[in-house]
Amino acid sequence: MSKSKNMISTCYTSMECNSCKFIKKRKFSDGDVVFSSNESCSECDGKMLITKIFGVIMD
Amino acid sequence: MEIFGYNLDEFLAWVGEDIDTVMMLIWILPVIIFVFYGQRIQLIISSNEIKKDIGKLDEYTTSTKKDFLNYVKTNLTYKSDPSKKLDSFFDYFTIMPVDMDPNGIISKINHLVRSREDFIRLQINTMFSNLSSVELSKLQNLLEIVTTLQLFHKYTRHLYLTAKKQKNFPLILPLQMMIPFIMEEAVALKDAMPAIKNGQPIGDGIGPMIVGEMMLGTTKESAAVETVWSKTIFEDRDLFLLKAEGPNATVGRPGDGLEKIISIKKPDLIIMIDASLKLEGEDSASIAKGFGAAIGGIGTERFKIEEIATNNQIPILALVVKQSIHEAITLMTKEIADSAKTVKDELYEMIRENTSSGQSVLVIGVGNTIGVSQ
Repeated sequence: MSKSKNMISTCYTSMECNSCKFIKKRKFSDGDVVFSSNESCSECDGKMLITKIFGVIMD
Repeated sequence: MEIFGYNLDEFLAWVGEDIDTVMMLIWILPVIIFVFYGQRIQLIISSNEIKKDIGKLDEYTTSTKKDFLNYVKTNLTYKSDPSKKLDSFFDYFTIMPVDMDPNGIISKINHLVRSREDFIRLQINTMFSNLSSVELSKLQNLLEIVTTLQLFHKYTRHLYLTAKKQKNFPLILPLQMMIPFIMEEAVALKDAMPAIKNGQPIGDGIGPMIVGEMMLGTTKESAAVETVWSKTIFEDRDLFLLKAEGPNATVGRPGDGLEKIISIKKPDLIIMIDASLKLEGEDSASIAKGFGAAIGGIGTERFKIEEIATNNQIPILALVVKQSIHEAITLMTKEIADSAKTVKDELYEMIRENTSSGQSVLVIGVGNTIGVSQ
């Protein structure tokens, strides 16, 4: 995950509620797959759909 | 004052009279050295740099190999110790068909590549129990990384040692030119390991990610090995969607998939979405539009798509997301993931501009779909 010794990439999972469109970002956890929905929305009863999984590089 | 039997005072007196002779001696000496030993000096300087890179390649090969075997041992259930058998896979090579008569070579290469894929898949399957298709595809990718790094190391070491053995400077020049590119790819391959092991999307997966989103809520059917298709409607146009079957670490077989869709209905337009290597100076995640089949690899899939499109007189348009080799095979960056919305808007605009109501379009999401379902 690291491009060089000084750069560390952290993986995040971004998801969106299919009902209220609430967007949540958290650290990637095993089993996360883009367009899968395993979590419920914390704002309503909707399902959270994973829309993106990406890495952010920090020096 | 005497040094080695010579009188220094006399010498200095002579120098004072004829300084030009000494200056000539000072200049001529390096010239003589460079005439006779210049190539050797250059070889020493160049080979030191190359030696460092070969050392890095060796380190990458060893670490990825160790990483791969650790992953296998900790995450999979194996029947007997897989280390020895996997070790033998690292040395597997592929002999490309004879190209003196290039007629029919594509089908030969296709056969060769697919046979190799099938063989590796079968061998891995026999080694582990309860292996899911996702794990199997991940293993194939990891194996490919280690094998490629090992090949890079062996090949560069061979060129280096041959040049040194024969004290042949010109022989080391091509290696000196190639090594920065080899190292760039080697670093990318090494850095690709964590994303593949964790099943995370890579930059190359932007095409399947866009098409996968369009497939949500549609009925997916198998189009070919590890390839799925579905149908949807956009502004009175039939949209056929094709991508590799996610979340497996695979690029699927879009050529065979296209063949299947053509047998159902001939589309009026093909649009291919893929990741493309950016040129130096270009921005990462920038979008470009063009003509022709946007698909990389060995060339057999592109050949098939081009042939089918030509025979059926279907125009092919391409939408690509620019990225470096490192970005393409490592964890997808935020910039690339964020470009998906813009690419989708461009795609719909392309469909509106190039087709009319009642026509049909085939959209192919090209790339490795690891971590991206549909």
